[in-house]
Amino acid sequence: MKGFAPHWRDVPDYIIGVTREIWENRRIGSLRHYYAPGLIVRSPASVVVDNSNVIAATMATLAEFPDRELPGEDVIWCEDPARSTPDSAAFLSSHRLICWATHTRPGVYGAPTGKRLRYRILADCAIKDDRIDDEWLVRDQSAIVAQLGFDLVDWTRDLITREGGPEACVQPMTPLNDVPGPYTGRGNDNPWGAQLADALSAVMRADFDVIPRHWDRAAMLFLPGGQNGHGHADADQFWMGLRAAFPHAEFTIHHVIGREDPLLPPRAAVRWSLWGKHAGWGRFGRPTQAQVFVMGITHAEFGPYGPGGAPAIRNEFTLIDETAIWKQILLTTGGAE
Amino acid sequence: MNLLWDRWTDFPDYIVGITREIWEDRGIETLNRYYAPDIPVRTPMGVSVGNKATMAATMGTLAEFPDRELMAEDVIWCGDPAAGFLSSHRILSTGTHTHDGVFGPATGRRFAIRVIADCAARDGVIDDEWMVRDYGGIARQLGQDPRDVARALIAAEGGASRAKRPFTPEADIPGPYSGTGNANPWGTRYAETLTRIMATDFTHVLRHYDRAAIAVWPGAQTLIGSRAISEAWLRLRSAFPSARFAIHHTIGMEGGLMPPRAAIRWSLTGTHDGWGAFGRPTGAPVHVMGISHAEYGPYGPGGIGLRREFVLFDEVAIWKHILLHTGETE
Repeated sequence: MKGFAPHWRDVPDYIIGVTREIWENRRIGSLRHYYAPGLIVRSPASVVVDNSNVIAATMATLAEFPDRELPGEDVIWCEDPARSTPDSAAFLSSHRLICWATHTRPGVYGAPTGKRLRYRILADCAIKDDRIDDEWLVRDQSAIVAQLGFDLVDWTRDLITREGGPEACVQPMTPLNDVPGPYTGRGNDNPWGAQLADALSAVMRADFDVIPRHWDRAAMLFLPGGQNGHGHADADQFWMGLRAAFPHAEFTIHHVIGREDPLLPPRAAVRWSLWGKHAGWGRFGRPTQAQVFVMGITHAEFGPYGPGGAPAIRNEFTLIDETAIWKQILLTTGGAE
Repeated sequence: MNLLWDRWTDFPDYIVGITREIWEDRGIETLNRYYAPDIPVRTPMGVSVGNKATMAATMGTLAEFPDRELMAEDVIWCGDPAAGFLSSHRILSTGTHTHDGVFGPATGRRFAIRVIADCAARDGVIDDEWMVRDYGGIARQLGQDPRDVARALIAAEGGASRAKRPFTPEADIPGPYSGTGNANPWGTRYAETLTRIMATDFTHVLRHYDRAAIAVWPGAQTLIGSRAISEAWLRLRSAFPSARFAIHHTIGMEGGLMPPRAAIRWSLTGTHDGWGAFGRPTGAPVHVMGISHAEYGPYGPGGIGLRREFVLFDEVAIWKHILLHTGETE
């Protein structure tokens, strides 16, 4: 870990350790060290530029959820040779984490509900010189909203109002308001990454027969909204419901990592997007023709139980932010009023 | 290997393949070929010899849940052709309640539960078996309470005096398999973990499980995090605080695109004399047959943490023990 503080053993140790320092040990000021000054954090809900804004958002979250815990589930990472210098190595880390928190204070989610939350986050961070200097993050917002006891569409409509109405509210991320950052890598060439990218591409071409070929019959699925599923039928239903809502949208694979590490099954992390019209019946109800950007991240673990003994996806973790999708739909249809 | 074995590439392939043939491809009669005629089959609900009881139960299940699927999740195994094999086979079982049956009038609801079957095989024939299925998970997903299902079962079997007794060690029928597993260190590690938990060292879970571990627990519950898992083990142990814990069979395995993993068959034998997962203490004599699987990963102290755990015991069978003792069967 050349260029990083000597106590970090490797990329997972750094990513999990920095997360703990910031969120659990309350060293939020250390973000000034760990987040580069011009850091861009893209999430489906917004594009946030500069670490001062990231620190402000961090404090707002902790004010609302003071007992927030963020245990890491996995770190799937790759080298970033293009940005390595004689002084520092560079990497891209795709971090899957659980968040537990109790909604004990008022904040962006409204008056405190006392509800206990459990949801996932997937965060892709570019790291170099002991700091994070580019980020893409998907939080399972629809799991949060459901666990707080709200209806997804009503809550999103209220959010637009709380943020000052359709004109003033925070704009969800799209390719039109994205800000380029220093990281331009596409991942690594490991075959497990290619296998996941190929499987997702086939699904997005509506070749749904890829599911019985590339997913384990008994696969465990951890899907948006905190929904757990099993096997081919549930995988088909989730991906069909998403694609059907945006049938002509352009599907892009942005980043692909595959890894084999000791004590872990082969695994992959893929960041992808859909960009196009809400033109079909599917997961988002009546088609509205709204122009929508869907940012997704998928992690997969492979195992030996595919057809004919071929490797197959045994555990899938996919996140999209359904509040950001509904926000784009409501802002277009005028349903925000 | 003899002719029967030769159809299969290896032992896990055999286990997964015959499960599919017998239970999903409706080749129920092939049970006669793959299973020894006098095989003892032990479940938390009781012990039977031969396949007649199993075949009848299978047909009953398929009549009530015709779309029932059994999907192999993992086969953790040990042994060799000379000594015989033992496979601990974890299955995801799903179905829709489309016809009236044991669970009452059809509800149209779907269930997804885990089953673990420990099967001993020699010369291509299964001749000894222990199986635990998440009966409480089916009940809960169909909108029923495991305690009520146990009560209904007792009533359907003719009341407290005539109902079939759940499995106890005294009722066991010895079979041909007498192995206790292998000496792989991952099995030893998991056996030590369960022993510590049952010695009420619940902090062990917080220290040695991955903080973000996922566990699938009876009642078809998915638990996330070592704290939730520690609490679940505590609720079980605290219901039977003085029960004797025993480990019967331990397998550890590594390799083949899988993380290191372990399979353990265990039991608690004693009295329902504490508050915990089974409500008010009743003093009922209880036997808990448990099988659990663990997968390890690198996130824990010293670079090893228990990352995934699948725990099976049968809540309905435990309630049956309790209700038969208290007589609250009406």
